Amino acid sequence: MKARYAWAAIGVIAVSLPLLTSGYVLYVCNLAMIFAVIAVGLNLLVGYGGQVSVGHAAFFGIGAYTSALLCVDRGWSFWAALPAAALVSGLAGFLLGLPALRLRGHYLILVTLGFGEIVRVILQNWQAFTKGPTGIGGIPPVSLGNFAFVSEGRFFYLALAFLVVAIAVAHRIAHSRSGRELMSVRDNEVAAELVGVDTTRVKLFAFTLSAVFAGVAGSLYAHMSGFISPDMFTFEVSVAALVMVMLGGPGTVFGPVAGALVLTALPEMLREFKELYLFFYGIGILLLAVFLPRGLAGLIPRGARR
Amino acid sequence: MTLQLLLNGVAMGCIYALVALGFVILYNATGIINFAQGEIVATGAYLCLFAMSGLGFSLLPALGAAILMMLVVAAGLFVLAYYPLRDRSVLVGVVGTIGVGIALKNLLHLVAGPLPHPLPSLFGTGQVDFAGAAMSVQSLGIIGITLLMFALYFVYTHFTSVGIRMRAAAQDREMARMVGIPVSRTMCLTFVASGLIATLAGFLAAPVVFISPDMGLPLMLKGFIAIVIGGFGSIPGAIVGGIFVGVLDSVVATYLSSAYRDVFTFLVLISVIVLRPTGFFGERVGQRI
Repeated sequence: MKARYAWAAIGVIAVSLPLLTSGYVLYVCNLAMIFAVIAVGLNLLVGYGGQVSVGHAAFFGIGAYTSALLCVDRGWSFWAALPAAALVSGLAGFLLGLPALRLRGHYLILVTLGFGEIVRVILQNWQAFTKGPTGIGGIPPVSLGNFAFVSEGRFFYLALAFLVVAIAVAHRIAHSRSGRELMSVRDNEVAAELVGVDTTRVKLFAFTLSAVFAGVAGSLYAHMSGFISPDMFTFEVSVAALVMVMLGGPGTVFGPVAGALVLTALPEMLREFKELYLFFYGIGILLLAVFLPRGLAGLIPRGARR
Repeated sequence: MTLQLLLNGVAMGCIYALVALGFVILYNATGIINFAQGEIVATGAYLCLFAMSGLGFSLLPALGAAILMMLVVAAGLFVLAYYPLRDRSVLVGVVGTIGVGIALKNLLHLVAGPLPHPLPSLFGTGQVDFAGAAMSVQSLGIIGITLLMFALYFVYTHFTSVGIRMRAAAQDREMARMVGIPVSRTMCLTFVASGLIATLAGFLAAPVVFISPDMGLPLMLKGFIAIVIGGFGSIPGAIVGGIFVGVLDSVVATYLSSAYRDVFTFLVLISVIVLRPTGFFGERVGQRI
């Protein structure tokens, strides 16, 4: 019962946040929710499936560029471009998943790292298509009929809706047969195969799905900021997404959301101490890995966990 | 392909090979995929710079001073970061060492500023004529020093008692402990050796790529590719893979496209992993370190 009240309180605070604050704080919240969508998806792959990716910024970028190019060059609306972005990034995830299936541990990490770098270099250099380092501007805001999600407050509810859907989908999957199959692959791939889990299908599913989440987040990001450029989709961003999952707690539904909130808010709050912040960020990541590998969720006593 | 182009590719490849060597011996001894290897190379380069402009040494003594300082830095890093990270899950090891890399990079940024610094080359900027081609002395010097380093490393790990103990501890920790080798201390020694090799890599790379806090990542990525192509965990693989990547890089940049150079090298990486994951020399446990 107590947990239900806590969730109700969190829900009320979340919904009323745009009434309490404005401008910059809301912008940071919106950014955090977009990253939370990536982290929730990445968690399916890393936390439940045990497959480490250090290239998810690529899917984020593919989603953002697909959406932006369709809207700016072809005049599509967000609602048409969003499924396209999800589809293209999902396809990229599927294609990356194919070679990654046979790989474990360090080889998988290097393949995802290579993939991330390839996408970044292409975004940077394919002038005719991606407009290169100058990026793409003038991406229209999301609108529904005559209502445009232009202000931070309006966009907040849009991002919140997407995040809630993302969490709901991840929650459903995590507690379904596929989720249990994923966890069995993570815990012992050979044993999973022996009891009849189609490990190939499950891993491909996780790769594709986590790429779709990142692609949707990319589309949202493009339409929130109105401008995208290749330096938004770097190795550092892939790492940040991974750390968000780690910080919140891999293999928990709400952990990555908490991780995304903390790791988006902190650098924004400490913007003027950038290098000093990043120095402590690095040390924090190390301490997290050594002392708290199950993230903040590891601090919650087992009985109270959901 | 001109001889000159080939030579420069091989020289750059030798630097990648040294980055890879530092990485591989650490991997073999501790099982850690060190994502901070590039930043450790950058730290080594900055130590050389500090010894020159801060302490007023000339180039070669500066390298010596940097190596001495790296002894302390590496031992500290081992105790504080790498020892606790050994034998943990892949996720923990990767995230932990990425943390080390971010911390080191921004520490360099805070201490020395964002601007790139030049470091003079030990070999000057001269050229010699060889078989009708003008070869840069610097490239020849880099190749010579790298080969010497690999040879020294081989002799050290095969003909000295400490080196043989290092190999034993990397091959079978339990067995090594049973025959009385202090495994943790030996591991620390291996990490320090890896740091020294990284310092040398930084010293050789600095005249070519400039010293900056961001110099680590591209070197590390190329080092990774070299390791995969050569065969994960293999020492001869590190040098063969490194030179392969260096030559491929310079050929692609000259004849195909300099903008998409890295796309080609990463495609080679992915193809090798998918088609021949053992690389040239395979991951043979018996030949570790």
